[in-house]
Amino acid sequence: MSELHVESPLSHVAAPQGLAIGLREMTGRGMIDLRGGAGDAAFMAAAKDVLGAALPTQPRTSVSWGDIKALWLSIDQWLILCPGGRTAELLAALRTALAGIHSLAVDVSDMRAVIRLEGEGSREILMKGSSLDLIDGSYGPGAVRRMRFAEIAALLHVVDDNIFDVYVFRSYADYAWEFLLATAREPAKIRLFGRQAAPV
Amino acid sequence: MLVVKCPVCGAEGDETDFHAGGQAHVRRPASHDPANISDAEQRDYLFIRHNPKGLHFERWRCDRGCGKWFHAARDTLTLEFKAFYGIAELPPRELMEQANGPWAEYFRQRLAAGTKP
Repeated sequence: MSELHVESPLSHVAAPQGLAIGLREMTGRGMIDLRGGAGDAAFMAAAKDVLGAALPTQPRTSVSWGDIKALWLSIDQWLILCPGGRTAELLAALRTALAGIHSLAVDVSDMRAVIRLEGEGSREILMKGSSLDLIDGSYGPGAVRRMRFAEIAALLHVVDDNIFDVYVFRSYADYAWEFLLATAREPAKIRLFGRQAAPV
Repeated sequence: MLVVKCPVCGAEGDETDFHAGGQAHVRRPASHDPANISDAEQRDYLFIRHNPKGLHFERWRCDRGCGKWFHAARDTLTLEFKAFYGIAELPPRELMEQANGPWAEYFRQRLAAGTKP
């Protein structure tokens, strides 16, 4: 029997050249899909016990503590991010704590590819593929949004003002990467938009 | 282009971020009185949809957002959305009063019974 060989969805791509922004794949990230009712006090308490901080209940937000992040996906779904090595331990702890509670915790670390966009102009590039108004001030650091990006389903996480993680399903990784390579080229840069103040 | 706002998560986006799910508040006769349902009733439930010019009640899904279904009231003439409300809710009272076709009778019954849809 051969050894199990695990590689990231974009491990075969070369480092991009001639782009207006930084573009790379984030690897080694553990992801846990956690589902349960936000109104279920027992579920929320159990999740808080294991993770160390309360799950965010505000739509399109995330919370971060230590090396763990919790991203709000829906009123009953969160994506827990942790270092790859901690996934199994965290998942086991979650399942133990959530035993008997109507909930779900699954390791989905290999389900999605994570592409990081870094640098001034990233928002404009993301806007080429989505209908979101990313420059109106409502997508600050920590914001999370599931969206339609370049016609496919994607999850956008604003890590910092000009740092974005785009999560796409693994089978779409190549497509999303190629789309970003094409739209992020230096000659394709958009100079029409400036940062706008948030509407009062 | 329609601009839709999900009442569950508050996400606003154009219609391509959402999925239209057809006519809302369709009453399934077999759920209420399975013993006395006629072929005509079942046919109407399955295939016959109301197609008004004006106020229309429809189901939508926050397809690329929170994934939840919700209801919307829309004017088919102006394409203006009148209201967004939860999947287990009835529309605002003034819209229920303006409703026509099968909705008028449905809303009248629901209001009288004081129950959820």
